[in-house]
Amino acid sequence: MNKFTNDIVIGLEIHVELNTQTKLFCGCPTQGSEEPNTRTCVTCLGMPGSKPVLNKKAVEHAIKLCLALNCKMSKELIFSRKSYFYPDMSKNYQVTQYEMPLGQKGKLKLRGEEVGITRVHMEEDPASLVHPAGMQRSPYVLVDYNRSGNPLVEIVTEPELKSAGQAREFMKQLITTLGYLKIFDVNEGIIKADANVSIKESGYVRQEVKNITGFKEIERALNYEIERQKKEVSEGKKLEQETRSWDSEKGITFLLRKKETEEDYGYIMDTDLVKTDITEDMLNKINEVMPELVHDKIEKFISKHKLKKKDAEVIAAEIELAELYEAVAKEINPILAAKWLRRELVRVLNYNKKELYEMEADEKHIIALLSLVESKKITDNVAQKLLEKLIEKPFDVKEYVIKENLGAVSDSKELEKYCKEAIDENPKAVEDYKAGEEKSFNFLVGQVMRKTKGKATPKEVNEIMKKIIG
Amino acid sequence: MNEYINKIKNKEIDIVEHTHKVIEECKKINKEYNYFNIISEKLALAQATALKKDIEKNNVKNKKLLGVMVSAKDAICVKGVESTAGSKILKGYKPLFDATAIKKAVEQGAIIIGKTSQDEFGFGSFAVNTYNIPKNPHDKTRSCGGSSGGAAGITAKAHFPHIALGESTGGSIAAPASFCGVFGLTPTYGRVSRYGLMDFGNSLDKIGPIGKTIGEVSALLETISGHDDKESTSLNNPIEKYSNIKADVKGMKIGIIKEAFGNGVEKAVDKTVWEGIKKLEDAGAKVEEISLAMPIEYGLATYYLIGTSEASTNLAKYCGMRYGASEDMKDSFNEYFTKVRSNNFTEESKRRIMLGTFARMSGYRDAYYIKALKVRTKIIEEYKKQFKKYDALVSPTVPVLPTKFSEIEKLSPLQHYMMDVMLVGPNLAGLPHMNVPVGFENKLPVGMLLIGNHLEENKLLQLGNEFENE
Repeated sequence: MNKFTNDIVIGLEIHVELNTQTKLFCGCPTQGSEEPNTRTCVTCLGMPGSKPVLNKKAVEHAIKLCLALNCKMSKELIFSRKSYFYPDMSKNYQVTQYEMPLGQKGKLKLRGEEVGITRVHMEEDPASLVHPAGMQRSPYVLVDYNRSGNPLVEIVTEPELKSAGQAREFMKQLITTLGYLKIFDVNEGIIKADANVSIKESGYVRQEVKNITGFKEIERALNYEIERQKKEVSEGKKLEQETRSWDSEKGITFLLRKKETEEDYGYIMDTDLVKTDITEDMLNKINEVMPELVHDKIEKFISKHKLKKKDAEVIAAEIELAELYEAVAKEINPILAAKWLRRELVRVLNYNKKELYEMEADEKHIIALLSLVESKKITDNVAQKLLEKLIEKPFDVKEYVIKENLGAVSDSKELEKYCKEAIDENPKAVEDYKAGEEKSFNFLVGQVMRKTKGKATPKEVNEIMKKIIG
Repeated sequence: MNEYINKIKNKEIDIVEHTHKVIEECKKINKEYNYFNIISEKLALAQATALKKDIEKNNVKNKKLLGVMVSAKDAICVKGVESTAGSKILKGYKPLFDATAIKKAVEQGAIIIGKTSQDEFGFGSFAVNTYNIPKNPHDKTRSCGGSSGGAAGITAKAHFPHIALGESTGGSIAAPASFCGVFGLTPTYGRVSRYGLMDFGNSLDKIGPIGKTIGEVSALLETISGHDDKESTSLNNPIEKYSNIKADVKGMKIGIIKEAFGNGVEKAVDKTVWEGIKKLEDAGAKVEEISLAMPIEYGLATYYLIGTSEASTNLAKYCGMRYGASEDMKDSFNEYFTKVRSNNFTEESKRRIMLGTFARMSGYRDAYYIKALKVRTKIIEEYKKQFKKYDALVSPTVPVLPTKFSEIEKLSPLQHYMMDVMLVGPNLAGLPHMNVPVGFENKLPVGMLLIGNHLEENKLLQLGNEFENE
């Protein structure tokens, strides 16, 4: 009856908000005042007599995404009206694309395999509904049209994803791509998914789960939904086609409606908008400004900078990190730079609950710091502490090292002096070590490190200490 | 009109006093004939007062419509003046902006005197599907024709220089112009911006002038034509100096549409139109009979499928959410929307919404909506073929003399729709066409239809000039 063979079949419909300055069909700003209904005009409010005018930047953004996903491009851009009545719709129809989506038959490369993209199309966002006392209990609903008319792209995948984890990976990879293209605000922008999911045990009865926001949620929602379906089937229930919604607070999906037939949106052309030709010339121009994408970067990091695959993948996953790395690797040994960015920088940022884009320090600061590490002028230990300080607030690293006398102690005579001091002060530890207790040796090294305030390298201290104690 | 403009400029006529008189005359006429849904007294006087100041400062040199009274079909938005498109559902609605045609007319010194009555949203051929039914200026028991009935009526009845802004989707300028015995020109689709026009069918709607003289029609057309950044379908082609057109038809080739005469056409209409053709021939035009079966045979079906499909989406926005009629709010939004729409649309609107919704539903869409789009292309091709050979095509405008209200009641919806049989063709093809009053039969006006090639309004005006003194 159907072609599926996998245990779990998942297809996604993902809505991405493009980061243009203005809305898709009017000049209203997409960002700014958060006060409800302040970023609106007659067009995005759907007032009688208003007309749409297409935002060319949004088209460019959408084309970039289609190219990055290897889509077959439509020769022309045509918009349709999708009709349904709902209070968040300013015109009770949504301007979207139907017959001829901008891009078709693309693919996105994941770690293991490629996932087919059925279509990519453009559309406008509806307004947002606000339920003052929660969706179930609120006695009334407020409508905020600030979002009405924001440009969206919808990406529809083939039903080829096999697990919740893979769906998460897909979303993550898509977000990475959007970040590389700089057409989506990775940190503040909205990305939402509706997932179609079915399992072998039920005979692949499709359940649609709506309203899943972000890549972490998709794994949770799908895991829940798959378990739910398995449980229902194991209890002998027969699944019917349903549309469900994800409640992220409760961590459950709940029934919205039974799907006896497909909804009928009565699509017609929106003849208020003229056809836009997608010419070869236009595509060539966009191709010229297409940035390197994540897989190109990973390849490059491996072949040019000789990074390990895993390091290359982690650094390339975020465009900001990748760009910072490339800038740093111009001045610093690429392997050293990779180690410091991937491990230390990410650790310090996580610890401070900061995102890379929120960091004030820039590549110059990082280069200054790592050049001191590279030339062994400071120890890793000191460098870590300086990095922590840099994330809080940038400063001139070289000056600070001189001023605070943080330069590495590598004069072996000086180190010998510290070692002897440590031995004299801790005769018990020396005895214990000689009696075979390794820990005591480490204790003595630690004492030296403390005396040098971390400015010595443990390796050197080790060697000197060994020489003295024997 | 030019004489009048000079008198205004020379202060022989005081513009404010004159406007007062006009408003009084309109009120008087309106009591008997229902041409205005609203007379914009305040706005008109404010505009007159402002003009007076400019005249005193000698600031009005090249204004083409200085002090000329212009009325607007109700569907054309005028800022701050109740605009209902003839529908109860928009009672009390005051637009937040001027339509581009209004803005341009006012910039050229026009004074907006009111909103003229029409069939609700343009749905009709007799201007009876509304809350304010205009009566024929030549016989009050008869219809003005529709849908721009009030516009044509006041144009015929006014004793002061006045031009009307009408709107045609499937014949709504030419038909009432014919019934009222005035010139009514529907321009090429896209020649005049639709910004601020409440939509009926977006691919069909055209704003155009209705006037007593070719000079007036030309002056208003010249004023309102041109590209508009706010309206994507408005054309960028240069605007011709329509007002400089001379009466010279020598050598022009005219095709007489054979299928539009004879069967189904009232004898009196047939005879009078042929007299008009004779007149053109006498003036030196070359006249030949041609066959143009396709638009007559398939025009109505094609027009009603496309027009109602588009209209049914355009009217979705009228649901009592933010403006216009409202009802008690109980139950869900769905029930509320239904109640607002059930209680405030006329039967004809409901009929067309249902027709249009049906034609675009999946399962029927290909057979009706999509097929109609294809036939439309064929119809355009057929016209284009003729324009390789002819400068203009001729037929009667409407097959009958102005219809009595008592007869209209007896007509079936299909018989109503038949009134537009000559007119839907050029409207579907976006071709400019004009009603020319060619004579009277039993004191009732007869209209002849001139159809021109795209953007050749000049030829229609040239031919129409021959009838200027009728």
